Amino acid sequence: MRVFRKNLIHFEFCNLQSAICIVVYLALLLVLTGYTTAWGAVGCDLNDPDRDVARLFPESTGYKTIYVSVVQKGGEPLLAKIETRLGDKFRGIYETIDVPYTIYEIFASKKKIGYIHGVNQKGQFGGIQVFLSLDLEGRIKAFYIQKMTSKYAGKLRDANFGKQFLDLTLKDFQLYDVVSGKASGKVDAIKNPAPEAEADFRAALRATKKNFILMDEFVYSTP
Amino acid sequence: MITKFQVAYKNLLRKRIRSLLTLIGIALSAWVLVSLLGFNHGYETALNKDIDNMGFQLMMMAKGCPYEAATMMLKGGTGLKYMKESVVNDVAKEPEVEKTTPILMAAVFDPNKGESGGVAGYFGIEPKSFSQMKTFLKFKQGGWFTDENAYEAVMGYEAAELEQREVGDKTLIPEKNIEFKVVGILERTGTQDDGTIFIPLRTAQKVFGRPDEITTLGIKVKKGVDSTRLENKLSKLPDVQIVSLAEVKQTIMKLISTAKVMVLSIAIIAILIAMVGVINTILMSVHERFQEIGILKTIGAMPWDIFKLIWIETLILCTIGGVLGVGLALILSRVTGMVIRYVLPYAPIGGLVLIDLKLVLITIAVVLCIGLLSGLYPAWKAGRIRPLEAIRSNIG
Repeated sequence: MRVFRKNLIHFEFCNLQSAICIVVYLALLLVLTGYTTAWGAVGCDLNDPDRDVARLFPESTGYKTIYVSVVQKGGEPLLAKIETRLGDKFRGIYETIDVPYTIYEIFASKKKIGYIHGVNQKGQFGGIQVFLSLDLEGRIKAFYIQKMTSKYAGKLRDANFGKQFLDLTLKDFQLYDVVSGKASGKVDAIKNPAPEAEADFRAALRATKKNFILMDEFVYSTP
Repeated sequence: MITKFQVAYKNLLRKRIRSLLTLIGIALSAWVLVSLLGFNHGYETALNKDIDNMGFQLMMMAKGCPYEAATMMLKGGTGLKYMKESVVNDVAKEPEVEKTTPILMAAVFDPNKGESGGVAGYFGIEPKSFSQMKTFLKFKQGGWFTDENAYEAVMGYEAAELEQREVGDKTLIPEKNIEFKVVGILERTGTQDDGTIFIPLRTAQKVFGRPDEITTLGIKVKKGVDSTRLENKLSKLPDVQIVSLAEVKQTIMKLISTAKVMVLSIAIIAILIAMVGVINTILMSVHERFQEIGILKTIGAMPWDIFKLIWIETLILCTIGGVLGVGLALILSRVTGMVIRYVLPYAPIGGLVLIDLKLVLITIAVVLCIGLLSGLYPAWKAGRIRPLEAIRSNIG
């Protein structure tokens, strides 16, 4: 019994010493590895979420912000799936697998009523930020170009252009060819108010289709 | 054979809640102390980096509020007024001057940036003199302009990322609706240059209607030269003012010293409270073990052994509390930095709370010293217990 107690004390003592050592080593490890700035790709956020959510979703009373990325949600296989659905590869040095996407979950009291999500798209003279307000069935309730660099940006950011997107869904964009610009059905009915800015018009449509696909993969398809 | 260390930690485990609460008190004071010291170190380091990355020690600009102009420049803003480009020759003639670089800063309103529009800023520069000042600038893609009158742009990393630009793409100056070709994208530097769009100085003067004018002249002083003397000499030039970046740094540091003093006071109070907590915990522990200590002395323990026993309890509490506090500070350093950035009027780019190994060791050493000091009285009191009195008493 004495031997057992001696061993128990020895065991407890070693455990405490080990515990103290682990705590000290962890602290040192944290210091030595340090915090490095995470220089990831740039995402697409609303400039003023409080103001913009109220404007894009008038019936909302609040929102929650969540961040997702393709690398986090499914990695290369998911990227390949998205590119197949989009009909185009993710291009350039900014449209990458690690881009963070901000999804605003919109609530009326405690009930979720929809989402707002934006994507960056390369335009002719600068980046285009396209936001969609979607209901729980994935229908567009509002279309908003937050930023665009173009001589004709005013026409493409006009409310009348955005109205053409209302009630459209991913299904309407499935046959839209983002590479050739060939459209059919409701997408073909969308008129370009600035024919001189055809490249930016098509960029806005590509951004809309990409937005839909990402939301379908991140939100609507998940159980 | 059972050691004093084992006896000490078992005693602490007897009253777990009390020991835990004391640990939390020590951890919180260590957290405040290391965060404060980390902020002192981090802010000054980040500010020095911001200022060193300007590439020059003195800035000349048209007369106005110097510090507002300087801090606007540090934050990537525009200058307030213009001066003649001929001043560059006047300054370059001075024997103390090693290099100069003229800059024309301009801004245009972009109505298509966000809901209510935004400002787009541009720097007109001479790439040869500018890159000699800022030797850390490296290209991710492409290079500098091909001609001083070219409609070409070099973009900082973040500016290019926001505009989704690569070399060969076009960009547009809003309001003017003038197209530029992107010929270079810089590597990320962690400075204001990341958000800047550079165009040739001559082109900028033409586009923004400022022929032969600049907003700022960056001046690099020769090594070993007294920059104050040069500053005084250049101040005599008409309609210009000289801003020394060392003075800007001192002014900014003075502004935040009030905040530092306040936080230091809070840290001292937190440490004192933790000290009192340690004294209280150990004293109560000694009081509860009055008879036990008496028995230990009757079987041969010397006063010094009892003293060491009690002191080891303090050591254990302070070590664990100190390490926990440091760990908490490390985990929350980013959050602490965000809060500071929100509160302070000027915060340089980069981490504001910098906690390194030296700081960790200093904090743990301070916590240990204070803890050991706190444990002196209870340990001494325990050492003085008379065995027979202790055994006879009803205490413990």
